[in-house]
Amino acid sequence: MGPWGFVSLAYGIVCAVIVLYWLFLKRRYRQAEAELNRLKSSEAVQSHDKG
Amino acid sequence: MAQPTAAVKKRKGILGGAALLAITAGLCWSLVIAPPDGYQGEVQRIMYLHLPSILTAYLSYFLVFIGSGMYLWKREKKDDLLAHAAAELGVLFTALTIVEGSIWGKPTWGVWWTWDARLTLTAILLLIYAGYLMLRSLIDDEQRAASAAAILGIIGFLDIPLIHMSVYWWRTLHQPPSILRPDKKPWETVHPAMLTALAVSFVGFLLLYFYLLSLRYRVGEMRQEIKALRLERGA
Repeated sequence: MGPWGFVSLAYGIVCAVIVLYWLFLKRRYRQAEAELNRLKSSEAVQSHDKG
Repeated sequence: MAQPTAAVKKRKGILGGAALLAITAGLCWSLVIAPPDGYQGEVQRIMYLHLPSILTAYLSYFLVFIGSGMYLWKREKKDDLLAHAAAELGVLFTALTIVEGSIWGKPTWGVWWTWDARLTLTAILLLIYAGYLMLRSLIDDEQRAASAAAILGIIGFLDIPLIHMSVYWWRTLHQPPSILRPDKKPWETVHPAMLTALAVSFVGFLLLYFYLLSLRYRVGEMRQEIKALRLERGA
């Protein structure tokens, strides 16, 4: 592998890992947000029923 | 805990956009504008990733250190959330640093890895904080897990001055610092175009880091809210 091959490998791995981590984090974020909204809306329904 | 407002979400979006712009500028500067190194040639361009990665990892572990210390002192959950989020990102950036260094080492030193003092201490740093994340998942009691992790987070931080000084204290293959030298200013030893590439790349890494940290922190915060709501239901 030539010098540009090593440079491309390093930049490629860094970009790929960061993008994958960002996608993984976004997925965790959306899952947590959806779960929280679900719990909050069901809590609101319950308190409305009690009222 | 507060629900993020539209303004907070907008700020996160702006931070993410700024990170993307700075990283693109950093890539242009590192791969196109900066000249090749006189001794190492094109391979030296890996340093525009390697140095910002490790400095970002150090910053992350500093936040773990601060968050852990504050948690042990005040027992406030937000400090533990910060330490946990920063530790995860610290592990990511340390792993990237080791991979970049290894790819640079093969054409420069002739080996992918050597048990040099600085490399070994950096690998130990990665293992300490990977252990920190494992420890948190292994202990069921949340407060005990947070306290044990906080102690490890503080102890682990002591490895960073050792890593920095290792090139002075031991005979190492890893060269002494070019930028953070006590005897010379960075612009006396590094070409201005290379220094600019490094600075732009570092700004990109910092913006990206704070964007990812804000996302990861909010994930932790929402998980806490979910736990609290579930407990409330169970009670």
